Amino acid sequence: MRLAIERVAGRRPWPPRCSEFTERFWRALAEGRLTTTRCAACARLAFPPRPFCPHCWHRSVEWVELRPGGTVYSSTVVHAAPAVFAHEAPYRVGIVDLDDGLRIATRLLGVAEGFAVGARAELVVLAYDDGPLFAARVRG
Amino acid sequence: MTGVALVGAAAVPCGRIQRPREAPLQALEHETLAGCVLAAMADAGLPKESIGALVFTHPRPYTPQRYFGTFMANWLRVATSGVLVEVLGDGMTGGLAFDAAAEAIASGRAEVALALGANFETATPSPEHMNLIMRATGDLDFHVPFGFTPLSWYAMDAVRYMHEHGVAREALATVAVKNRRHASLNPLAQYRRPVTLEEVLAQRPIVEPLGLYEVAPMSDGAACLVLAREEVARSLGRPYARVRGRGFYHEGAHQISEVPNDMIAFDAAARAGRAAFAAAGIGPQDVDLAELYAPATIVEVLVSEALGFAPRGRGAHAAAAGETALGGRIPINTSGGLLSRGHPPYISPLYAFVELAEQLRQRAGERQVAGAEIGVAACELGNYNAALVHVLEARA
Ligand SMILES: [Zn+2]
Repeated sequence: MRLAIERVAGRRPWPPRCSEFTERFWRALAEGRLTTTRCAACARLAFPPRPFCPHCWHRSVEWVELRPGGTVYSSTVVHAAPAVFAHEAPYRVGIVDLDDGLRIATRLLGVAEGFAVGARAELVVLAYDDGPLFAARVRG
Repeated sequence: MTGVALVGAAAVPCGRIQRPREAPLQALEHETLAGCVLAAMADAGLPKESIGALVFTHPRPYTPQRYFGTFMANWLRVATSGVLVEVLGDGMTGGLAFDAAAEAIASGRAEVALALGANFETATPSPEHMNLIMRATGDLDFHVPFGFTPLSWYAMDAVRYMHEHGVAREALATVAVKNRRHASLNPLAQYRRPVTLEEVLAQRPIVEPLGLYEVAPMSDGAACLVLAREEVARSLGRPYARVRGRGFYHEGAHQISEVPNDMIAFDAAARAGRAAFAAAGIGPQDVDLAELYAPATIVEVLVSEALGFAPRGRGAHAAAAGETALGGRIPINTSGGLLSRGHPPYISPLYAFVELAEQLRQRAGERQVAGAEIGVAACELGNYNAALVHVLEARA
């Protein structure tokens, strides 16, 4: 269930904010675990994690660990990038449907050409100097 | 929304109006917009004293003047007893301004209402501008850190569409050629030189598979619409356009949600369209022309399908076959659309209504859709997570 951790030199171009609630997500991610919240009442997952269930608004949720596997739904290569990402351009981003039933959007790695629609992918941790991000690595 | 009429419209050509911050002479939003207001009211044939409501599009952050609406009311010296408000809803902003002005009339709070605004942004270099707008089209902490841009979501629509329907990029790109041809006939358009499919395909990539001509440019602009109670419109003795239907839907999702769906169904547009058509008592086959908010070729294709102008998966082929061109079965974006008329985002939907006002009053010149009676305007939020659709009808 652990995600592979890949070292990346430098700082995250746009570091996500951390709250008392989401700190737990980012700490687990740094250790290679992708987590989110599941509703104690309707059992549905939410992503990003929330202190309540967005589906039924029940206030009681539990943290669960997600499997890293998924399928690429779509992707693109960004050439015209915002200034903070310009040094990384062109880069590939995509939408991945996780095997646990969640759709996420993230950086896509390991695609040489084409758009990899329908390809299997695994989430990995990108360990930057200042903290973690996650990404999806397409199996070559 | 019965009894509301669009009786006047004016806009400046889209393009580069704003000047660099260090330039000794600046182009000012209120000066440009005031010209539109006077022209639109003259077009309507209404006196300034008739105005009961002012609904402004919120200006871009690059407009230094804050509280722009009340500032503008002073500049124009217009007092209002209905409402004065600035509305904001990303790309839907101009549509919401029209909607709120129509509401002010439908509710009886005003006899005449203006929907108006200026959107200046071109003095900011694109990469800097994108630092701002990337924060509008995703979760700041769970999407933005990966480098998504507003256009990247549409590019992923294109990739998914090409995958599901076996459509080539070339078919999507014909939308850009068609819109440029339309824009060549529109004095308000930013890019009027016709282009070939080869030229479109040869542009530098922006978000693959979309190149420079397949996405909307940065633009400045200003526009003013005059809406009135239909009795007022009738008393003026000139052609006008009546609001015949309206639909709105927001999915409760911001760009995407974690619940997998059919992303390219543009469900909000389909629902808003059905609501607008039902209110108007018509179907998509009754529409003579449509002005669709589409910052990329693929978006025009997907909205045209969601609104029922083409079957699912056939929108790109319909465009390639000329069905959505002037003279075709259902002309779409006769103004040139966002791609070629230009895209000052907060007021792009105002320009859509300017085009409908021209077409439905049979004065669009060379790009007139012969005998145009029913026009549709649609605009959006996010990746068409929300849609606002209006059906307008010509009245002579
Ligand atoms: Zn629940």
